[in-house]
Amino acid sequence: MQVWTKLFAKSPFKPLIKHSEVVLETVETLEKALRAWERGDYEEMRRLAIEVDRLEDVADRIKAEIRDSLSSKLMMAVAREDVLIYLHMQDKVADAAEDTAKWLLVKKPGTVPKEVRELIIQMGVESIKAAKLVHEAIVQMDRVIESGFSEKEIEKEYEIIHEIEGVENEIDGLDTELMQRVFEMADELSWGDGFYILNVARTLSNISDKAKDAAERIRLMMNR
Amino acid sequence: MDPWLLVTIILGFAMAWAIGANDAANSMSTAVGAGAITPKQAVIIAGILEFTGAYFFGKSVTETIRKGILDPTKITDPNVLVYGSIAALLAATLWLLIATKFGMPVSTTHSIIGGIAGYGIVYAGTAIVNWGKMGQVVLSWILSPVIGGIMAYLIFKALTKSIFERKNPVRSARLWSPFWIGLAFVVIGTMFYIKVLHGKNLGTGVLMYGIPAGVAVFLITYLLIRLRFPISDPFIGVETIFRKAQVVTSGYVALAHGANDVANAIGPVAAVYAVATMGLTGMKVPVPRWILALGGLGIAVGVATYGYKVMETVGKKITELTNTRGFTIDFSAATVVLAASWLGLPVSTTHVVVGAVMGIGLARGVKAINRDIVRDIVISWFITVPVAGLISAAIFKILMMVG
Repeated sequence: MQVWTKLFAKSPFKPLIKHSEVVLETVETLEKALRAWERGDYEEMRRLAIEVDRLEDVADRIKAEIRDSLSSKLMMAVAREDVLIYLHMQDKVADAAEDTAKWLLVKKPGTVPKEVRELIIQMGVESIKAAKLVHEAIVQMDRVIESGFSEKEIEKEYEIIHEIEGVENEIDGLDTELMQRVFEMADELSWGDGFYILNVARTLSNISDKAKDAAERIRLMMNR
Repeated sequence: MDPWLLVTIILGFAMAWAIGANDAANSMSTAVGAGAITPKQAVIIAGILEFTGAYFFGKSVTETIRKGILDPTKITDPNVLVYGSIAALLAATLWLLIATKFGMPVSTTHSIIGGIAGYGIVYAGTAIVNWGKMGQVVLSWILSPVIGGIMAYLIFKALTKSIFERKNPVRSARLWSPFWIGLAFVVIGTMFYIKVLHGKNLGTGVLMYGIPAGVAVFLITYLLIRLRFPISDPFIGVETIFRKAQVVTSGYVALAHGANDVANAIGPVAAVYAVATMGLTGMKVPVPRWILALGGLGIAVGVATYGYKVMETVGKKITELTNTRGFTIDFSAATVVLAASWLGLPVSTTHVVVGAVMGIGLARGVKAINRDIVRDIVISWFITVPVAGLISAAIFKILMMVG
C-alpha cells in the first residue's frame, strides 16, 4: 500500500552473495573429497562427494529464486542481463564441482599412479582457489556499488579478477601437463584409468574456467 | 464571526491535517526508512519543524487565488470567492485522503490548484483560467523531479568523491558530513533573513546570516560527531556518521516542507478571511500570523495522528536504503524546495523527493528501484489536477445552489 516501501526493490546482491556462499561450500566440500581421494579414504570421499551433489541442488534452488525475483521492471545499478549471466556462470562453478564429484564416485581409487594423483590434487586445489575468489569478487562488487563506484573499490575488484584469470591460466598449463603425462604412461595405465584421470582433470579445470567466466561478467557489470 | 469563515477555517485545518498525513509523512519517509530516526522521533521532528517552517518561513502575503491560476478580476461576486475557496479546500482534502489511503505521494500544491481551477471553470468557463500559469504547473510535473534528480545526482557524486574515494573514508565522512549540514544551514540562515527579518538583499542574507550560521553549525556538528567504537569496516563507519547527519537533514526537509506547502491549506482561508473582514480585495491579501499558526498546527497534528502510521510501515519495510543515500535525498530535496519557494516556482516537495530518488538511481547509487511504482507515482501526479478539479466543481455547484 505504501509506495515508498515498494519503490525501493530488494537488492539482487544479497541473494547473489547467498548463492555464492553455497557455491563456495560446494567447492570446499569437493576439495575435502579430493583430499580423501588422495589418502585413499574411499568411504569418506564417497560421503563428501554425495554432499557436493546435495549442495549443488541447493545452489540450483537459490538460482531459480533469484531469476524469478529479477523482474525486468527493476532499475538497477548494474544491468539485469549481467546479473543473470553472472548468476548462470556462478552456478556453473557448482555444476562443474558436481561433475568432478560424479567422476570420483564412479570408480574406486587406488590404481592411479602417485605422481598423477599429486598433479590432480594440485590442479584441484588451484581450480577451487579460483572458485573461492569468485565469492570474494561478488562480495567486493556489492562494496563497489555501496561506494558509488569509487575508483578505489573498482581497483580492488580488478585485482581479484586478475587473480582469478591468473589462476585459470595456471590450470590450463597443469591440464596440458597432465594430459601429456597420461599419454606418456599409456602403456602402464588401463584404458579405464586413463579415461578416469582425464575426465577428473577436465572437470576440475572446468571449475576454474567457469570461475573466470563469472569474473569476466563482473568486469562487464562495472564497465556499463 | 461569519459562519462561512468558520467553515473555511475548519476546512483549512482539515487540509493542513491531510498535508501532514500524506505529504509530510512521505517527505520524511526516507529518513525513517534508512533507520536514521524512529517513527516516533519523526513525528516530534516533523511536528516542531513543520510548524516552525510554516509559521516563520510561510508566506506572509498570499495570492487570493493560489499561484494566480484564475483571473481575479473576473470574479465580481465575493460569495464566489468564499464558496470557491471552500470547494477547492474540500476537494483537495478529499483527494489527499484518497491518495493517502492508496499510499500515493501526490502533490498538495497541485491538488489545491486543481480545486481552484475546477470552481473557476464552473463559474465563468475556461476563459477565467490563466492557462499560462496552468502550463507552468504542468511544466513543474517534469521540472520538479528533474531538478530534484539532477541535484541528488550531483550531490551523490560529490559525496562519493569526497568520502568513498579517500584513503580513510571514515575520517573524510567526519569532515564532510558537517560540511553538508553546514551548507544546509547556510540556506536556512539566508531564508531566516529573507522570510523572518524581511531582508531584501540576498547577498547580505548569505554573508551576514547564512554563512555565519553554516560555519557555527559546521563546528558544532564536527565536534559532536565522534565515533567511539572499533571500526572494522570503513563503510559501516561512514553510514553510522551519516545516520546521525540524517537526523538533521530530515528536520531540514520538514522545515522546507512546512514553509513551502502551508500556503496550500491557508491560502484559501486567508482569501475568505479577507473577504469577510475587508470585502472583496485584489490579487494579494495579507496572511495573519494566527492563520499561519493554524496551518502549521494542522500539519503537525496530521503527522502525529495519521502520518505516524505511514512512517511506521515505511520504517519496517524499506531495508535497502542506506544513510548516505537517504542523506543525499533529504539534502537535495529540501534545498531545491526552499530555493524554489523563494523564487516562486510551483514545485512540489513530493515530486522533488521522488526525483531525488531517481537521481541517485541514475548515479548507480541504489541497487534496485521498482520502475512499475515510479510509473504509478507519475500517473498519480497527472491525474491530481483534473480529479481535484472535478470534485471541486461538483461541490461548488452544490454550494452555489444551496447558498
